[in-house]
Amino acid sequence: MGKDSQLQAVLGKDVLTKVRAAKVLLVGAGGIGCELLKDLVLMGYGEIHVVDLDTIDLSNLNRQFLFRHKDIKKPKASTAVAAVETFNFHNSKLVSYMANIMDTKQFPLSWFDQFNFIFNALDNIAARSYVNKMCLFLKKPSIESGTTGFNGQVTPIFPYQTECYECTVKETPKTYPVCTIRSTPSQPVHCVTWAKNYLFGQLFGEDEETSPTDFGTDNQDEIKNMVSEQNELKELKNLATKDDFFESVIDKIFIKDINKLLALEELWKTRKRPIPLAWDSSVKDKIEAITDSDVARGQDVWPIEKYIFLLMRSIKELQQRLADGETDLEFDKDDEVTLDFVVAATNIRSHMFHIPLKSKFDIKQIAGNIIPAIATTNSIISGFSALASLQMFTPNPREGAKMVYTFQDATRFVSTSSVVESNRKCKSCSIPRGVLKINLSHPEIVLGDVVDALVKGFKYGHDEIALILGKDRLIYDVDFDDNKDKKLADIGFQAGEVLLVNDENDEKATVELYIEAMDSGKIEVPNMELPDAPEKEATEEQEDEKEDDDVLQAISDDAPIIIDEEEEAEEASKKHKLDEIDEHETTTSKKQKTSEGQDHVLIE
Amino acid sequence: MSSLRLARLQEERKSWRKDHPFGFFAKPAKNPDGSMNLQSWTAGIPGKPNTLWADGVYPISITFPDDYPSKPPKVKFPANFYHPNVYPSGTICLSILNEEQDWRPAITLKQIVLGIQELLGSPNPDSPAQEPAWRAFGKDRATYDKKVKEQAQKYIK
Ligand SMILES: [Zn+2]
Repeated sequence: MGKDSQLQAVLGKDVLTKVRAAKVLLVGAGGIGCELLKDLVLMGYGEIHVVDLDTIDLSNLNRQFLFRHKDIKKPKASTAVAAVETFNFHNSKLVSYMANIMDTKQFPLSWFDQFNFIFNALDNIAARSYVNKMCLFLKKPSIESGTTGFNGQVTPIFPYQTECYECTVKETPKTYPVCTIRSTPSQPVHCVTWAKNYLFGQLFGEDEETSPTDFGTDNQDEIKNMVSEQNELKELKNLATKDDFFESVIDKIFIKDINKLLALEELWKTRKRPIPLAWDSSVKDKIEAITDSDVARGQDVWPIEKYIFLLMRSIKELQQRLADGETDLEFDKDDEVTLDFVVAATNIRSHMFHIPLKSKFDIKQIAGNIIPAIATTNSIISGFSALASLQMFTPNPREGAKMVYTFQDATRFVSTSSVVESNRKCKSCSIPRGVLKINLSHPEIVLGDVVDALVKGFKYGHDEIALILGKDRLIYDVDFDDNKDKKLADIGFQAGEVLLVNDENDEKATVELYIEAMDSGKIEVPNMELPDAPEKEATEEQEDEKEDDDVLQAISDDAPIIIDEEEEAEEASKKHKLDEIDEHETTTSKKQKTSEGQDHVLIE
Repeated sequence: MSSLRLARLQEERKSWRKDHPFGFFAKPAKNPDGSMNLQSWTAGIPGKPNTLWADGVYPISITFPDDYPSKPPKVKFPANFYHPNVYPSGTICLSILNEEQDWRPAITLKQIVLGIQELLGSPNPDSPAQEPAWRAFGKDRATYDKKVKEQAQKYIK
C-alpha cells in the first residue's frame, strides 16, 4: 500500500495532487503554529515554509508540544521543523526562518508571492496586520487563526472580497473612572491600575500627565484634591535621586495622601474609610528582619510588611537605573523589578482600602492582561485551519468558505458561518494597492519623474497629487514641490517602502504602492484602473458648518456632541463580530455571532 | 502605519489650504531630509479680539497618534503655559481632545484650533489642570488678568 493511499481515500486523487504540489507559508510556530505544522505535514503539503522570530521558553512547553526541555533557548521555527521531520511521511519540503516576518529585506513582497496561500498563526496584532497587508498587495488568500482561552476563530480571507483582518473593529480594554482609581478603589484591579498606569508612570516614567478631563465625579473638593495630589507627585519625582526617596514615597503616597482623602467626608458616607499605612518603629523593625528569600514565592499572599520590603527593594533598584542614565522607565510584566514595584504598591494600597491582597502571580496576570493559552483550543483551531485550507483547492474557493468559532459559553462549542463581504470602511482593504517598480540604481531619476509617471499611468488628467512615503513623510503635493528635482535615494525611496498616492482633486481613490526595485528601465506604474474616490456625503459642506457649531457648543457647556448617529449605530451593530482574537493579549470578552446564515456544528 | 490615517491627514492639509480661519496657521513639521512629517504639526492660535488674549498668537504642537482618527491628536502649548485648563507640561485639557469624552473621528483640525481659541478666553473652572492659573482665575481675578496679559506680550502677533 502506497504511503499516500489513505490520504487519497480521504481527499480524493485530484485534491491530493494539488496538496502535494502546493507551497504554503506558515507564519508563527507557537501554540497554534506547532499544531498546524503537524497537521500540514501529515496532510502531505508539498512545501511548507515556517517563520518565527522567537526562541523557546520554559513556559511554552505545556502546549507547544513539538518542543522539549532540552530545546529551551533554541529557535522555534527550526526546532518545530526538526521535530516534525520524524513523521514527515510524505516528504514535504520544510524550510524554517528565525526572523521577523515584517523584515522587508529578508521578506520582500515578491517573497510572499511564491506561496499558494498563507497560514497566519501569530500572537500579536502588529505582525498580523502586516501579513494581512502583504496579502492585500498580492491579492493572496490567507487563513487567519487565533485563540483566547477557550475561545478561538479561523477566518479564510480573500483580499478585497471578504472581510480582512482589519475589517472588524478591535475592542479596547476596559477603563475605569479616574476617581475610582485615584480616590475610591474597591477591587484589586483598581489598585493594580493605579500602581501600574498612574503611580509608576508618575514616579519613573515619561514626564507627562495622564491628563484626565473627566474625573468621573462632580465632587469639587475631590477633584481639587486629585489635582493637587498630582502636582505634589511631580515634586516627589524630583526627589528620585535622593537616598531617602523610599521614605518620601511612603510618607507622601501611603500616609499624607490618604489623610487628605479622609478629610473629604463626602466620600466616606457610603464607603469604608481607608487607614493610612502604619509606619512606626515596630513595623520598621519587622521590615529590617526580612530578606530576599522571604519574598521569593510569588504564588502566595504575604503579610503586608513583606510588600513594604518589596517596595523598598524595587524603588532602590529603579533609582539605580535612573542613576545609570536610563530615562522614562516603562512597566513590563516580564521585567521583575517593575513588576515587584507594581505588586508592592498594589497590595499596600489594597491593604489600606480593605481590599483583599493578591499574590504576585495574580497581579502579574491582571497587570499584563494575560489570558491563559489552552492547548486543546489551539489544537482544535489548528485542525479547523488545516481543514479550511482544502477549500483553497476547489474551483471557486471563496464560494462556500467558512469561518469557524469556538465558544466556551455557548450552547454549542463550535459554530461556523459563511465568510462576510469586506467592510467598505475598513482602514486596510478599502484602499486599492499595487506594486510600483523603480530602477533605484538609475542615476538620473528624480522625484518629478515619479510624479509624471504616476499622473500618466493612473490617468489623473491633472498633476495635483500628493505623495506620502512610509509611515508619515509627505514628500510632494501641490503646495510643496521643493523635492521635485531631488534624487530618489535622497528623499528616502527604497525597496520595501510603501508610497501612498492621493488625488488632491478627490476624483480617483487613494492608492497604496509597494516599491520594488528593478534592474533596468526607469519606472513601471502598475497596470490597474483606479476606482473613483469614495463618494462623500452630499451634505458634507452643510454638515461641516453644523459640526463646527456643535463642537463649540460642546466646549462651552460640556454637552455631548453627536456628529453622525447613523455611523455609531453601525459601529454598534458590528459588535457581533469576533473582534480581537489573540493568543495572549486580549482581555475583552467575545460575543457570539448571531447574524443570519449561521449554522452550527455540534461536537460530541 | 494605516493608510487611511495618512489619507485623512493629507485631507486635513488640503482642507486647511483651501479654507482656514483668519489669523491661524497650521503646518506639518519639516524633516531633515526635506520631507514633511504629517504626524507632527505646529500651529498658531490667535487670541480672540477684545479679550485678554487678543495681543498674542499662541503656538501649539499637534501630534497625531498611530490610531488617529480613532484616537484624538495630542495638542500642547509650550510647557508652563498659563491657563487653568493647561497642564504644566502644556497638554491641553479639552473635552473634544479626550477620547473618553467628546472626541469623534470626524472632528477636523479647524474645529480643534477654533475650540482651543474658544478655550483661551473661556476657561472651564471644572477641569483644573494647573494650580496657579486655576486658583487665580477662581479667587484673584486681578492677578489672573495681569498674568494673561503678560503672557500675551510674550507671544505677541
Ligand atoms: Zn478589511
